[in-house]
Amino acid sequence: MTTGPMTTEEPLPLAGLLVLDISSFIAAPAAAAALADFGADVIKIEPPVDGDPHRNSFRNASYPQSDHNFPWQLDGRLKRSLALDLKTDGARTILERLLKRADVMIVNFPPPARERLKLRWEDIEPLNPRLIYCSLTGYGETGPDRDRPGFDITAYFGRSGILDAARYEGGPPGVSLPAQGDRATAMTLVAAILMGLRRRDQTGKGGWVGTSLYANGVWANGTSAAGALIGAKLPPRQGPETPRNALTNLYRTKDDRWLQLLMVRDDRLWEKFCATVQRADLLADPRFASRPERRQHSLALAAELVPMFASRPYEEWERLFAGTGIPFGVIGRLADVIDDAQAEHAGIFADTTNPEIPRTVNTPIRLGFAQPRTAGPPPTVGQHNDEVLREAGFSDSEIDALKKSGALG
Amino acid sequence: MADSALPLAGLRVLDISSFIAAPAAAVVLGDWGADVIKVEGPEGDPNRRIMHDSSNYPKSPVNYPWQMDSRNKRSIVLDLKQADARAALDKLIAKSDILICNFPPPVRDKLKLAYDDVKAVNPKLIYASLTGYGESGPDRDRPGFDATAYFARSGLLDAQRYEGGPPGVPGPAQGDRATAMALVSAILMALMHRTKTGEGSWVGTSLLGNGLWSCGVIAQAALVGAFLPHRPPPDRPRSALGNIYHTADDRWLQLTIVRADKLWAPLCRAMALDALIDDPRFASEPERRARASELAGLLSDRFATQPYEYWREALAAHSVTFGVISRPQDVPDDAQAVACGAVVETAIPEMPRTLADPIRLSFASQRIAHAAPELGEHGEEVLREAGLSVEEVATLKASGALK
Repeated sequence: MTTGPMTTEEPLPLAGLLVLDISSFIAAPAAAAALADFGADVIKIEPPVDGDPHRNSFRNASYPQSDHNFPWQLDGRLKRSLALDLKTDGARTILERLLKRADVMIVNFPPPARERLKLRWEDIEPLNPRLIYCSLTGYGETGPDRDRPGFDITAYFGRSGILDAARYEGGPPGVSLPAQGDRATAMTLVAAILMGLRRRDQTGKGGWVGTSLYANGVWANGTSAAGALIGAKLPPRQGPETPRNALTNLYRTKDDRWLQLLMVRDDRLWEKFCATVQRADLLADPRFASRPERRQHSLALAAELVPMFASRPYEEWERLFAGTGIPFGVIGRLADVIDDAQAEHAGIFADTTNPEIPRTVNTPIRLGFAQPRTAGPPPTVGQHNDEVLREAGFSDSEIDALKKSGALG
Repeated sequence: MADSALPLAGLRVLDISSFIAAPAAAVVLGDWGADVIKVEGPEGDPNRRIMHDSSNYPKSPVNYPWQMDSRNKRSIVLDLKQADARAALDKLIAKSDILICNFPPPVRDKLKLAYDDVKAVNPKLIYASLTGYGESGPDRDRPGFDATAYFARSGLLDAQRYEGGPPGVPGPAQGDRATAMALVSAILMALMHRTKTGEGSWVGTSLLGNGLWSCGVIAQAALVGAFLPHRPPPDRPRSALGNIYHTADDRWLQLTIVRADKLWAPLCRAMALDALIDDPRFASEPERRARASELAGLLSDRFATQPYEYWREALAAHSVTFGVISRPQDVPDDAQAVACGAVVETAIPEMPRTLADPIRLSFASQRIAHAAPELGEHGEEVLREAGLSVEEVATLKASGALK
């Protein structure tokens, strides 16, 4: 894997940190996985027997169908699993012992469940005032919808206005992909936790940090949302045959791929574009002489460009445009992306030591001084019960008693 | 709320970047207390004009995208092609903690702004670079935008479509803003490293990497040879319990029942379709899947009889997970958008509200947004702080190196 300039190997930046991942599904566990990638010791605390319901997400109808538990590999990597029934007193004893040693705790219970389980920051702070307590919610920690369970499709995409904006005029709302907003949100959680750790380095104090799926969706949709705040409305996106700007548009190529032209700086690039596609006639055409005219006559320009792009396969366009500085791209297909040499250079995929799922997706964070850890197979439910408890100082007989009582699964 | 200074107070950031992802990361650092100096060329960051230049932006007399991506920054204009401007930049680099750039690698080399160049000036500096496609490889020099690198190249847009339809539609800067959070995380890891070792470092991220991270589930599936078929349209979904429905008042409601075993009966009760609870056609999840279109038809007929507000109450009363497809105009007046901290007030009279970054801390609040700087507004002030004399600043101005 190539990461970038000046890669040196030094201790991972989060080595030595103990993280308790008491969360489920994707955004919060994905943040914990990112911390583990960069050296943190992450203990996943999950219910006995079934564990995190995300272990079964791969059977979800909206997921690609596979016998391999690929999402669990992604979000469970580099974690140890401790199966606790948090409703029992014994589990509370274990949890409190762990919390006293932990640096970071991540939860995504809605506020009422946190209250019931005595897992609010104010419950935990007396045990370990240096702890960074991180919570993820669907819709925020207060307000009318704070207790509503939130998923990325509802809170990040639906509520934020992204899906409404992501449609062609007259069409149904846009399509979001499984966990797409969850994973983007995970990066915010990581940033929030790191700010908490930085402040702890400076003051010795822990504290609450967090984010919501809703706020992340609004942030991602920030340009349109900032427009909406002052009453500016995004007109619906025209279909590719009738663009508002023919130079930032999608074109179908001869081999049925979609080429995306993104010539934002057509003030500078128009001449070069005409020369590159060998259309001196367009350069000479008074309808397209300047930027305002090209906008005004965008339908006429698209009518020229649609058949032009349809006359050659994508590869030829790729060769023509390469090195011209004219921004363009192909609408990639994942089938191609996984073997894309550039993705390899960008450090996007990584090998695992799990023979069943030999490659995985890295976080987008790249550091010159450290590489993310290599992932093995994710843990089975409760795989590390004994080991984690012994590290926390429990004796073998105590561990047996906790197992008998059902606290430890 | 706040019992101490902001966590990034005392850090100086040079934002030598343009457009959105990298400047948005600098905004987030500024939100939490960093002193952000935007270094622009003589024409300024083209993001100052993007609202007019891009047909995909809502138009307004207020330059809201520029305000949002430049809040609380100071601006200095240096013509970095001139040697004395480049030398003045070194003075700033020597006194900074973080440098953010998004020049493609050849431009960095030409301007002597590669990591090796600046490391020699300030070994404690954290150098954060954003690229479209990574720092090496066949496409490292290709200009990348979020629509091309984050959305198109990653396979996101191909996957985000209905069967037979054109590729999905990305919102303006949607991937840029998500990417900004990864860049912030990378910078914070480098700060942690510097605290431990005293050393600066290079960190970075790419739009392509962030696009693939966000669609990590289907990318990971592709790595084991599994692919997501394009989404069937709403009248023949794969699962009727994970589908969108049109309400009587022309809104869309999004059902996302993940734990169908638990929520099937509550859903039927919420919709006054109690007879379906024990209907053998829909008795188990496999049967509901097998008859997804039939079930979607029944649900969609019923959803069409009542307005959104009715369904909101009925479903919430039965703890059934759902979402509304908000329109952008719904967000500013959504009490929950304020409660979760997304919509905040500014000190900018022409734009009284803006979007906070999504990070929340108990021990500090984000700085309130002040107006984005005029081009070169703080040039003299910034250089004087870096130790240049009045005469030196005057010379730079006279030569055109400083505007």
